[in-house]
Amino acid sequence: MIERKDNIVVTGSGIVCGAGASVDSVWSTIESGQTAVADYEQWDPENWPVKKACEVKESNRDLVPERKLHKSISRTDMYGIYAGERAIEQSGMVQYRDELPEDEQPGYNDRSGIIVGSGGGDLRSNYDYLPLMQEVDRDLPAFGQNLNGMVTPMWLLRNLPNNVLCHVGIRAQLKGTNACITNQIAGGILSISEAAEAIWYGEADRVVAIGHDCLFEPESVFFYHKLGLVSDDTPRPFDQSRSGMVFGEGAGAVVLEKAADAEARGAEVLGQILGHGCVTEATGITEIGDSGDGVERAVRQALENANITPDQIGMICTHGNGTPASDRTEALALQRVFGDSMPPTTSMKWAYGHLIGAAGIADVVMTLEALRRKVVPGIGTLSQIDPDFASLPVSSEHQQPHSDTALIISRGFGGMNVALVVKA
Amino acid sequence: MSKRKVAITGIGLVTPLGNDTQSTWEGVVAGRSGVGPTQSFDASGFSTTISSEVKGYDAADFGASKKSLKFASRGAGFALGAAAQALEDAGVRPEASNAERWGLCVGAGMNSVTYDDLSRIHEHCTDDRGDLVPDGFLSPDFPGNPVDFSRVQCNAGLGILAKEYGIKGYSTSVHTACASGGQAIGTALKVMRRGTCDYILAGGFDSMINPMGISGFCLLGALSTDNDNPTGASRPFDATRNGFVLGEGAGFLVLEDFEKAEARGAHIYAELAGDGNSLSCYRITDSPPDGDGPIQAIHQALADAGVQPSDIDYVNAHGTSTKMNDESECAALTAVMGSHIDTVRVSSTKSSMGHLIAAAGAVEAVVCALGIEHGTAPVSANYKNVDPLCQVNVVKDQSVQMPINAALSNSLGFGGSNSSLVLKSPNFA
Repeated sequence: MIERKDNIVVTGSGIVCGAGASVDSVWSTIESGQTAVADYEQWDPENWPVKKACEVKESNRDLVPERKLHKSISRTDMYGIYAGERAIEQSGMVQYRDELPEDEQPGYNDRSGIIVGSGGGDLRSNYDYLPLMQEVDRDLPAFGQNLNGMVTPMWLLRNLPNNVLCHVGIRAQLKGTNACITNQIAGGILSISEAAEAIWYGEADRVVAIGHDCLFEPESVFFYHKLGLVSDDTPRPFDQSRSGMVFGEGAGAVVLEKAADAEARGAEVLGQILGHGCVTEATGITEIGDSGDGVERAVRQALENANITPDQIGMICTHGNGTPASDRTEALALQRVFGDSMPPTTSMKWAYGHLIGAAGIADVVMTLEALRRKVVPGIGTLSQIDPDFASLPVSSEHQQPHSDTALIISRGFGGMNVALVVKA
Repeated sequence: MSKRKVAITGIGLVTPLGNDTQSTWEGVVAGRSGVGPTQSFDASGFSTTISSEVKGYDAADFGASKKSLKFASRGAGFALGAAAQALEDAGVRPEASNAERWGLCVGAGMNSVTYDDLSRIHEHCTDDRGDLVPDGFLSPDFPGNPVDFSRVQCNAGLGILAKEYGIKGYSTSVHTACASGGQAIGTALKVMRRGTCDYILAGGFDSMINPMGISGFCLLGALSTDNDNPTGASRPFDATRNGFVLGEGAGFLVLEDFEKAEARGAHIYAELAGDGNSLSCYRITDSPPDGDGPIQAIHQALADAGVQPSDIDYVNAHGTSTKMNDESECAALTAVMGSHIDTVRVSSTKSSMGHLIAAAGAVEAVVCALGIEHGTAPVSANYKNVDPLCQVNVVKDQSVQMPINAALSNSLGFGGSNSSLVLKSPNFA
């Protein structure tokens, strides 16, 4: 058993995705049973085999009002900065710092960390070079000679995978421990695991964790479709007729700190982080194993890390991305861990699509909200559960959590499987 | 709570100075330059035509499987060679019985589309102004190979390495620009201390020496344009320095429990003893002239390792050879080291091998381990003119034979992330 001297609580959260730009608005979508997935508008879907996505509706100005910053960041960074700053705002951590005596503020900043799960950049930025290629007819020396003037000098900086880390850090003066995790889908939820560990380990007193991604663009859709991962149907996790994931985009964020600190400064507590697990199935870049072994090991590791037993979990938010293979292996693995006493189970991706690098952390934000409201939201698009795992306690109707503790699962490329245990 | 002691028992390098540990180390000690006119593509049109390339490398020479090679980018190919060396050197590797206790922590380069990939998109998916026409992807002529797409996923290298070696425990990929490699190794140290893993393969890999990578840096004006003097272009701390030289490569380490490594009679290069991390919160491209930011990272690393500044004998500096980086880093070292700044020897091995970006911190941690092993502080090549703002005791002209009890390795990244690592001699007293 791991002995820990601090309980770690969540004192702020933020989210932006196609279903809304606040926890309340995203919750209303989920609660209504109506998916926010729709025909996309970024380009004309008419000839495309995939016509659906869940696009963020807010403009760049809505997300980051400072126009000056727009030159040095890309759209995915805007999501991350927006969600991160909502979480920071709600936590009151910056306001609290500003009220400290001036000589205590630098120390406070040095003990404030930031860990970001980043999708790794925005593929659309590559298209910035296309007009230059056109101009020089793909002649490489001419391409080099004509760079300046045709491509923004800020190109590289705009595309740093760690931009959110940098800009949220500068704006809130988070000068302590930091990391930018570029572990594709796993990165978002890992940012919370690592943020909690940084506090447990004594590296920081409070850490902002953010996951953001914006993979939805033509090249990604084309290749995800070729790989057989994406569906033109509304996402239907665990349904017999499910045929793949649907792209979402956005960001999620939480502020973690020591329970004692939160109490001392009178901060509202949204939940607690109990433990985490992280493994790979070693199946390569895009393949997943056929047994769900990674899910099972990550979940068992997280339960052990949280020092609880399966029967204490009152609700499960699965990865549930709606692809035939992932849902099947995830369901089978969970049945092996929980046996006949599996708690009410759901997936959020039917409502806001797959946020890729932001998926896991968005799910954590919304699971904390579900625990707070004592509602396990139904999977609005579920009509007939797959007979391969017919006893899986998923439903199109809302259920009641069996306790105040939840398990969240995130799976990604690289055979990654991450699990997190949280408490209301 | 006492911290678990972590040993470095295997190392591997693929760098512009050599395709393995031995040849790289010889190059580092000799201060030989890996820089020359860029060979891998026609760089004649770019403002910088020189770089520090890995030469004559084939990952298959290190036993990498065909499937891994098919999916590996140039950078991931370097990782396969360096990781294979590290595992071979350590004499342990993941087996079915312990694969779940093996972890993998990598610092990976940023997603980078290749010029060829982008050319294909240009050919099939643009209008006459070069604007994207999405329907072009759907054209039967568009040669959309999912392997090309898989290769550039941000954790592709992680996926390839995990599969190649059968690693099944904690696995992560980080990117904080030039601090990535250091942060990956720092992360590995923390994961070892948590007890999540018994062994970790940790390292960094990168290759941005391609038209798209060079374009990004040329647009920014960060590279040295000393095209007529390639071997002298990277001159960290020198008053005339004018930018960094882009390198490429990979460095990997095998970490394991110190006592268990001793018990199995493993060769221990060094103890990975401390990690420090901070964010400068200043500008994207620099840390401030007074060293704020790096100062905190160095302090934390020393404290984490349980050493005093005076215990550090050698610093492998980030030392990129840009004006601002070297100034800020020297200010930080001066602030932390106090009077010891006159004694502690400092070099930047980027002077010989260039800046390996996401691989730099990992390669330089390996250089520190080798420095401890061989009792050698490697030379900082091309250092001639003293900069009053870089008043540190640079290892000048030639490498110095000296016992190194503890070494510090700094990595300071674009975006303001600072990573410092402390390595101790296995006989540290």
